[in-house]
Amino acid sequence: MLINTVLLFIQSVLPMFIIISLLLLRFTTKSKSLETYKNMIIMSGLTFIFVFALNRYMENLSQLFDGKGTEIFFSFGYILIYLCSVLLFLLDNKHKINNAKKALAFVVFLLVFSLNGSHFILYLTGFGAQSSLLESAGIESLVVGIILAMGICSSVAILFYFSLRYSDSNIHIKISCYFLLFFSLGQLMQSITLLQQVDVLPLNYSFWNSTQFIAENSELGQLFRVLFGYEARPSFMQLIIYFIAFFVPVLISKNRYFIRLSTGEKL
Amino acid sequence: MHKFPFISYKLLLIINLFFLCSSFVEAKRPEYNLSLQNHLFYPANIIFPANTKVKLVIFNFDSSVEEFDSFDLNREKVIFPNKKATIFIGPLPEGEYHFFGEYHPHSARGKIIVKSENHSSVSPEALTSKQGEKHAH
Repeated sequence: MLINTVLLFIQSVLPMFIIISLLLLRFTTKSKSLETYKNMIIMSGLTFIFVFALNRYMENLSQLFDGKGTEIFFSFGYILIYLCSVLLFLLDNKHKINNAKKALAFVVFLLVFSLNGSHFILYLTGFGAQSSLLESAGIESLVVGIILAMGICSSVAILFYFSLRYSDSNIHIKISCYFLLFFSLGQLMQSITLLQQVDVLPLNYSFWNSTQFIAENSELGQLFRVLFGYEARPSFMQLIIYFIAFFVPVLISKNRYFIRLSTGEKL
Repeated sequence: MHKFPFISYKLLLIINLFFLCSSFVEAKRPEYNLSLQNHLFYPANIIFPANTKVKLVIFNFDSSVEEFDSFDLNREKVIFPNKKATIFIGPLPEGEYHFFGEYHPHSARGKIIVKSENHSSVSPEALTSKQGEKHAH
């Protein structure tokens, strides 16, 4: 129970902590600050409504498309996170459209919180609704698990924030931007797994199996999964999509024509 | 002028065709049923053919939510009370793949035994287990 809670936290709650770190890093200067009171209230309110609505209607959603509704809806959300993050990655130098960038960051924040938050709330409410479970496992293990997992998630996020801030200012200015891209690739990989689960995308044999080194269901495996979409047994299709989804935005950002366009230079 | 010029009827048609085609391909998959009652999976052991993609329909007859979970299969699916859920598994090489219910991991347990069609030796454990209902489509 304790380990399950910790793993679930890393799987569902850590992405929320990581995205807060990444977005704060990209929007730290006062001119483009995200964390104004007005923004905070709107973002918190909308996130609460989305998580509540998704949790309330998850049962109906799951029965759509012959029982594939949840996968199709969630994979659409994950793909949207990837697309918005790619736009944020590409438009990083373009300071004239800060409002558009804020809107994109807001969509990413909302989607990451809604999709991961609803899964987490479902687990907790499902567990809470079954009193026999609480009696057998003990409420103490659930509470200890939550406290322990919150500590792990906040420590990782703080460490992640300060190490990226250091590397942004001392090594390369776009390192945190690349991490945002890797984070969104992790979300994209989740959508691929969901679409394969309901046969929308074809399933193939695993290309390799690194379970012996880092198992996907271990704490480290879950952490890597959140940070850059680690898969212990990826299929050939997943690998192809991963490399295309990484190299296409990177190559576009390196393109001289695009650099001029994004910095507003005359073409 | 159209309010959303990028959402053309052609695009909607293509999306519809995509989902229609995927369900057409899906209809050919062998289908297996698994049910969940009193926090136990029935049958606990299912035999699947090797190198074949199969459709697994899970019915939850309990009054509480359960999550079908398998690290071996990389599958995770929430099944609401008195509802069914569909997942696709495979193609898999021969072997045993364990699954469990996330809320009742001690009681709700089972495994999928993947065997090739011409496999002559069947383990006694597999013989005694009740084979999941199969519906060829």
